[in-house]
Amino acid sequence: MTRGTEQPTDEELVAAVLSGDRDRFGDLIDRYQGRLVNYLFRLLRNADDAHDMAQEVFVKVYQVLDRYDPQYKFSTWLFRVAQNAAIDQIRRRRLKLVSLHQEDPEGESRDWDLPAPERGPYGELRNRERGDAIQEAIDGLPWEYRELILMRHTAELAYEEIARLKGMPLGTVKNKLFRGRQMLKEKLRDFVGE
Amino acid sequence: MNQPDHSIFREWLNLEVDGQLPDERRARLEDHLSSCQECQDERRDLLRVHRILERGRLPVRADFRQSVLAALPPTGWEARHPRAWRFPAAVLVLLGGAAVGLLSVAHSAAGGGGRGGSAILGALLAIGGLFRATLLAGFGLLNASWKGFGLVAGDLFASPLTIGAFGLLVVCLNLLLFSLLRRKRPVAAEASRRTPGNGSRLG
Repeated sequence: MTRGTEQPTDEELVAAVLSGDRDRFGDLIDRYQGRLVNYLFRLLRNADDAHDMAQEVFVKVYQVLDRYDPQYKFSTWLFRVAQNAAIDQIRRRRLKLVSLHQEDPEGESRDWDLPAPERGPYGELRNRERGDAIQEAIDGLPWEYRELILMRHTAELAYEEIARLKGMPLGTVKNKLFRGRQMLKEKLRDFVGE
Repeated sequence: MNQPDHSIFREWLNLEVDGQLPDERRARLEDHLSSCQECQDERRDLLRVHRILERGRLPVRADFRQSVLAALPPTGWEARHPRAWRFPAAVLVLLGGAAVGLLSVAHSAAGGGGRGGSAILGALLAIGGLFRATLLAGFGLLNASWKGFGLVAGDLFASPLTIGAFGLLVVCLNLLLFSLLRRKRPVAAEASRRTPGNGSRLG
């Protein structure tokens, strides 16, 4: 077990939950909520849906927590559940991962906002533009690169975890991330130069 | 510097910003960067892409943790855990202790011996009588229900008119059900037409 101020590992927290300390699951939520919500937000492109699905994922994981195998990382398991849930949702809703501001088949135009850390009207506008550009750049990537970029940058998974989650050789993960970033860099050229 | 070297160093830069580059290669990369402006620019751009992606993060709702914890349902593994049995077991032990205590008090109040034994027997017989009364009440209720059902059925099939009315009611209910099913079919067909096939690719 951990000593002093050292943080308990995910596996230790899971063991504590399984031994009846339900509050330790809250620590796992604290640890992963930011990454999970943002990962789902990038996939679903809707803040409410991302929060709702993140909650569903945590509940689903809790229900089968006794089946967790500590030889694998908890984060790999969590994001696998999240990815499957997101893909199911996308298929159900026929959400097309295309450019922003594009009309859907029902003729509705959708806009996606991101938080604006810069203050003032110009800052707001700039942040909005940047937020849109980031989402557009990510959406513009082919799916095989997009999912790896999101796993690395949003879910903050290690290369080995991504390789395990996707069932890919480590070299392929490195290569795809490299190519994906090159594409992103081109798409975000205006903002990279800031 | 030739082109293939640059492409290799660019790959290494990607690994470096993720902390995945081995020390030996990092030293070679640093050596190369000190004399290559192009790769320095590449590293700067790469770090900026990282920062841009970091900046566009969605803040999580303040009540998210609480809402998840409140939504956690009781699970099978929780019920199987020994801790889940602690409270019921403690209550049983407590009740047993209280029963023993009461019987002891009754025994001592009766002055011990044969009278105490008959008090315990009396208590056990009373509990048995309670169970018997409960069983009899249950059987009585069941019997009354069957009798009531028999009376209704008897009246219903007493004459051809009531049998006909009953048949008409059944036919009408079936027609109603059929019309409801027919009304729902176009909605289901529309939904299945909208849902993409399992093999559809994302993106």
